[in-house]
Amino acid sequence: MSEKPRPRVEFLQGTLDVLILRTLLTGPQHGHAIAKHIQRTSEDLLQVETGSLYPALHRLETQGWVAASWELSDKGKRARFYRLTPRGRKQLEAEQSKWEAFSRAMQLVLNPRDQEG
Amino acid sequence: MIAFFRKLRYLARRRRKDEELQEELQFHLDEEAEERREDGLPDADARLAARRDLGNVLLVEEDTRAAWTWMCVEQLLQDCRYGLRTMMANKTFSALAILSLALGIGANAAIYSFMDAILLSTLPIAHPESLVIVNWHDAVRERASVIHGASGNIHNDSETGSTAGIFPYPAFELLRKYDAVFSSVFSYYPTRKVNVLIKGQAEENSGEFVSGDYFRGLEVVPTSGRLIMPDDDRVGAPPIVILSYAFSMRRFGNSESAPGQSILINNLPFTVAGVAPPSFFGVDPSANPDFYLPLHTNLILKLRGGPGDAKGYLDQNEYWLEMAARLRPGVSITQAQAELGPVFHQWVASTAANGEEQAHLPNLLLQEGASGVDSLRREYSQPLYVLLVMVGVILAIACANIANLLLARAAARRREMAVRLSMGAGRFRVIRQLLTESVLLAISGGALGILFAIWGVRFLKLLLKHEWLGFALDPALNWRVLGVTALLSMATGLLFGLAPALQATRADVMPALKQTRTGDGGSRHFFRGAGLSRLLVVTQIGLSLLLLVAAGLFARTLANLQAIELGFQRDNLLLFQMNARQAGHRDPEIVQFYSELLERFRAIPGVTKATVIHYPMVGRGTWMGSVFPAGEQPNPERTTHILMTGTGFFNTFQIPVILGRATDERDRAGAPPVAVVNQAYVDVNFAGRNPIGRHIVVDRRPPLGKRDVEIVGVARNARYGDTRGDYRPVVYLPFTQGSYYPVDEMTFVLHTTGDPLAYANTVRTLVRQADARIPVTNVETEAAQIDQTMSREIMFARLCSGFAILALVISCIGLYGTMAYTVARRTGEIGIRMALGAPRAVVLWMVLREVLILAAVGLALSVPAALRSSKLVESFLFGVKADDPASVELAVAILLGAAMLAGFVPARRASRIDPLTAVRHE
Repeated sequence: MSEKPRPRVEFLQGTLDVLILRTLLTGPQHGHAIAKHIQRTSEDLLQVETGSLYPALHRLETQGWVAASWELSDKGKRARFYRLTPRGRKQLEAEQSKWEAFSRAMQLVLNPRDQEG
Repeated sequence: MIAFFRKLRYLARRRRKDEELQEELQFHLDEEAEERREDGLPDADARLAARRDLGNVLLVEEDTRAAWTWMCVEQLLQDCRYGLRTMMANKTFSALAILSLALGIGANAAIYSFMDAILLSTLPIAHPESLVIVNWHDAVRERASVIHGASGNIHNDSETGSTAGIFPYPAFELLRKYDAVFSSVFSYYPTRKVNVLIKGQAEENSGEFVSGDYFRGLEVVPTSGRLIMPDDDRVGAPPIVILSYAFSMRRFGNSESAPGQSILINNLPFTVAGVAPPSFFGVDPSANPDFYLPLHTNLILKLRGGPGDAKGYLDQNEYWLEMAARLRPGVSITQAQAELGPVFHQWVASTAANGEEQAHLPNLLLQEGASGVDSLRREYSQPLYVLLVMVGVILAIACANIANLLLARAAARRREMAVRLSMGAGRFRVIRQLLTESVLLAISGGALGILFAIWGVRFLKLLLKHEWLGFALDPALNWRVLGVTALLSMATGLLFGLAPALQATRADVMPALKQTRTGDGGSRHFFRGAGLSRLLVVTQIGLSLLLLVAAGLFARTLANLQAIELGFQRDNLLLFQMNARQAGHRDPEIVQFYSELLERFRAIPGVTKATVIHYPMVGRGTWMGSVFPAGEQPNPERTTHILMTGTGFFNTFQIPVILGRATDERDRAGAPPVAVVNQAYVDVNFAGRNPIGRHIVVDRRPPLGKRDVEIVGVARNARYGDTRGDYRPVVYLPFTQGSYYPVDEMTFVLHTTGDPLAYANTVRTLVRQADARIPVTNVETEAAQIDQTMSREIMFARLCSGFAILALVISCIGLYGTMAYTVARRTGEIGIRMALGAPRAVVLWMVLREVLILAAVGLALSVPAALRSSKLVESFLFGVKADDPASVELAVAILLGAAMLAGFVPARRASRIDPLTAVRHE
């Protein structure tokens, strides 16, 4: 295990929503698990601010992209589980292609030589 | 869209959502702590770390809630909750504010309901806007006129001349020819009361004679059967009748079974052809006809008021028929007037008998008819406007109160506002909070005001009971009235909340923060801050004075009216009417019939005296005619009022006969015709000579001709017709001698022991035994009938006294509030004064002096205004001048007394301030 603290990446505006939607693609999750999942899959590069996680979840719910229901967690406690709605899936697709285009564009501008080579 | 509805739904279930969110966050914290514990942290540390990780829980909740719904709505609800809490915390303040506003708004909405019904509503017919009412106008009412005879209302105005809607039949035929202007012209006139016998039940009812085009022109669809058609309106057509919906419901129980039935009108058979729709009442809102007859049936019914025979239809100088018309599409009323004015002029000129008549011809005047004939508006618009001004003044006083109370409270909350502002609340946000509170107050006031308005309308209807009976209009709260009320309360809330809100949130935060809780010490600031509130109190006092003066004027008018000497005694008299002629009785038997009935009434135990007259003494007008001394020329300037009387007349009314004798049983049919005259008649016609034994000539309408009668007595003057003005010349003729008009409707008068109305049933039984076809009508006491002649004055006096008391109470609340607040703010100062040795009396006087100054300033400003504005009600007054000093003095005295009373409580509180406690506050 490395003791060196890993550098953290700042969230870009609007990225949290996409990450949540993407996380829920694998199945319903409660808030805490979503945060952990994002953290884990980004190799701890992305640290989800819980302070903004819940407002984001509720915003997505209001938009109708995720739906919530009370269910029992693995440890048998009542938790609010979020799952992707069909509308959310569509939204994710749209956002994802947007992000891919954006990230490709960033790549092209930042590393022009890769292209030449 | 989905988001919108979701947000709406959240608003409804926000409490549950809140709990859920808390649970969700709690779960998160538990999970996080659990994870840390697994990493090896002790329990307490793990929890702490989880907390730290999440950050400010309240902030997270706040942010999350923001996602649920709109911030502005959220804040509004928050403001409302806070506002309600403040309202609850200051119960007295809120109750006073809401109550005064509710009274003001309630009074306004009630009066406005009446205005709406009378002045603004349109006829319940299709396309009311194309309806035109045909009138004539004559700038000067001259003696010599083409109008030789008139039956119907002529409105005489001393400034504009006379206007009326009655015409000769040929004028109707003339206008009918102009079908390029009018798509239809139709005519009508009232039948007045007739005897209607249905299924053995006789009733006195009134209807309308209408021309054949009437219903087609008004575009009315029958509820059942059919309506009158042009073919029904001709000589010799089978007599039919159309019933009003209400009448058919009342007499037949429904509207379907009436058509085809036969009913008797004045003992003549008519067939019911159909029933008019429920809302229909013709074109005159003040009339509510029970039935409609074809115009030409007046030839068989032969009632007063119309032509007696076919010749009457041709008479060009007899005015009796009312007209209305429908404009053709595209023709304006101005065009119609321009085209038909000259046509009518030419025609009316041809009817003039001589040059004198030719010189003063009436002009055609077309008026918009969307609201129908304007008789009601003419009569009630002025009183209603006066009432509206009064309630407007009350509302103004109430609003001043609200503003004043809000101002006082805003000042008291200056510190709170300053704290909020200094902690970063936006000024707009704070103002919005304050405005929400005042609008909340206003809305509560408005809601309560609607309740008051419902009562107010009921109360007004009760007050106008006698006058309203025959009207087709039913004033009620409708959407227009409610809309105006809502607007009014919102506007008061915003307007009168804004000034205090602005004042309380002035950017100057530091002095407010430094200010102690009990007062700001320096009176230099005090005057500046309280200036607006003092101005409001002065205004309130001034406005209250206006209403008090008006109340005083109306109360004195009423007292003057009630003190009028009638010349006859009014107590314990029962009046009722019947019309035997309409039930089939004819001359000379009808006289016999009435005389025998009178004897039967006299035999009722408890009836001490009884008589019969052909017209009530007051309240119904009089019969006028020409009665001149024999051997002289009739003088058209001298109108004599004629009353046909039965035996016992002078005795029953206790009118003393001061010369000669009263008429009695001797003066029966066939005996020499006699008369008793009153003093006024002697003064006018005999100028001091003894009239006993002299003969006078009664000029009767054709075909009756002149009748010579002998004066056998002179009676002291008594009121006949109007209760106001000078006594008028009256001639009393025995009804048995046929000296004047053929006997038809008669009014019986019984003097009873005990309550007169208790005898009504006995009377009805006796009449039914005599002839079941004759209904007994208008059963009432003489005293009630006299009260009716001054019903408008009674109404004004009561309403205005009520309004004045209301205004006074509201103003005193305001004054009290202001003074109590002043004293509270000056507690420290007063405490120091007292500590330095000021006696309690001085402190008491110090506060009262301020009240007096405020009242004096208010009075000084409004007394001249009151003297001037009372001119507005001059036409409603009797026996008292508009600038009556006594009324003003009384109003000033009452107001000063009330102001002192309102100021005394805070003044006493000031004088009881404990110097020690007060100074310690500093």
